[in-house]
Amino acid sequence: MFIDPRLARRSQLAEILESMCEGLELSRSQAGDAEQRYNTVGHWLGDDSELTGAWIYVHGSVALGTTVKPLARAEYDVDLVCHIPHGSPAAQPAALKKLVGDRLKDHDTYARLLEEMRRCWRLNYAGEFHMDITPSVPNPACALGGELVPDKELRRWKPTNPIGYRKLFQQRALLQPAFRLMKTEAYRGAHDANIEPYPARMRIKGLLRRAVQLCKRHRDIYFGAQAELAPLSIIITTLAARSYEWCIRNRVFDDEIDLLVAVLQEMPRSIAFDGNGWTIPNETTQGENFAEKWNLKPELAKAFYAWHHVCVRDLEDLLEIVGRDRLQKSLAEAFGPAAASNAMQPLAERVCSDRVAGRLAVAPGIGLTNTAVVPRSTPVRPNTFFGGP
Amino acid sequence: MRYRGGPSLTAMQQFVNLKINPICEGIGLVRLGKLTWEFAVQPDPLSRVYSVRIEYRQGDVPQVYVIEPDLAALAEGRRLPHAYDQKPARLCLYLPGTGEWSPAKRISETIVPWTYLWLWYFEEWLASGVWKGGGQHPRLPEKRSRRTMCQEERKCAAPL
Repeated sequence: MFIDPRLARRSQLAEILESMCEGLELSRSQAGDAEQRYNTVGHWLGDDSELTGAWIYVHGSVALGTTVKPLARAEYDVDLVCHIPHGSPAAQPAALKKLVGDRLKDHDTYARLLEEMRRCWRLNYAGEFHMDITPSVPNPACALGGELVPDKELRRWKPTNPIGYRKLFQQRALLQPAFRLMKTEAYRGAHDANIEPYPARMRIKGLLRRAVQLCKRHRDIYFGAQAELAPLSIIITTLAARSYEWCIRNRVFDDEIDLLVAVLQEMPRSIAFDGNGWTIPNETTQGENFAEKWNLKPELAKAFYAWHHVCVRDLEDLLEIVGRDRLQKSLAEAFGPAAASNAMQPLAERVCSDRVAGRLAVAPGIGLTNTAVVPRSTPVRPNTFFGGP
Repeated sequence: MRYRGGPSLTAMQQFVNLKINPICEGIGLVRLGKLTWEFAVQPDPLSRVYSVRIEYRQGDVPQVYVIEPDLAALAEGRRLPHAYDQKPARLCLYLPGTGEWSPAKRISETIVPWTYLWLWYFEEWLASGVWKGGGQHPRLPEKRSRRTMCQEERKCAAPL
């Protein structure tokens, strides 16, 4: 009996990346706290006579499930829109923003937490999250139900469509990849009948979301102090989502790692350059170009491509690394030391707990494993390593 | 000679058991009552493949060497934990005198899986600097004096 070592490797790697992403994201309880808080803020705003009917909803990474722990601070960003359904584009963006701010200042707690940002208000829950509240009004010109938000200078309205964007992202995330039935390469032929299928299950939950998280964290580490050159999360998210859809519609994959690499590789596919300008359109409304800034600052486009090249290469390299210690080192370089050790921990703990429970075994082609998983393995009997610590 | 747990296995019996177990596929020989067995160990699919040699003379204790790669080089100057010798690395896999191993037990079912385990913890140790595999560090004055320890124990008891 043989087990394809390449498959076993990739399967473990998938599990490691999954653990890493889990460790990076907003926990379920944090997300619950955030939701409770923004609902309360929403009621407070909606009860105001001038903001009647206003409601709050979450967009950005929290809404998409692509949160990544920020490197430089403890707080996650929770992006909120305060939608004012009776608001009109004729109103001044600055005036509308002021209305929202005034109402927040009327509340003792919010007044204390409040910080004014260029085009939104921030409620700063120290150690937990920032809630950025951006006012919006309906966009009568958008057939897709889009909205308008203030631009950076608070002079004009900018089209956007967070609800439509989220819906499209979620639809794409649900697309199921086609995996080819893997016949092992190393053992193809003579031993074909002896190949034991490696326990196959999806190790990466919601691969599109994980791809976005990996890219975002890699970006944060890669750019470090040069954060001003880093591609926006919305750019990474959009390119990854479109790439994911393209990959699934056009290709068949060996396994989820194969798909993950392909999704990253194909990201630039949805960037358009017509000789004059860069475009990464928001497909859910007219007139929003996520790459707008690239046209004012061409080094941003250059920085994107440079980063993307390294990101893909780093992921591909992970597939070839031999040695758990070297893998951890490479993960630490690419995604940060804490993320790397979180990533390796669950598998390590499993070996330790299986050993304690007397369930640990050695299986040919796999090495240490849980006796329940693989037949014909040799149990690891209790032992005490001797000698110095 | 009889040991706890039944009669002692001959070097040839150990050899045959090593030969038939797929977790230690390798090559070896028995010559003048001394067994040598070389095989590859990959503790898990993400680990390196280590080349290991077991030497065993019937009635003695098995000696386990990691031939390749050079563990001392991988450790970059740190002293290997739970090793009798550093170069080539000779592993301390069990507590002598407890019956964890005895000449009545199959090397293929004790020493070999423990070698996998040791090397697995070794990579963990390379990454974290912490040996998570547990074990005992002989405290000299307690139960037995240094003089009554076997040579193996004394080597491991040397301060790190």
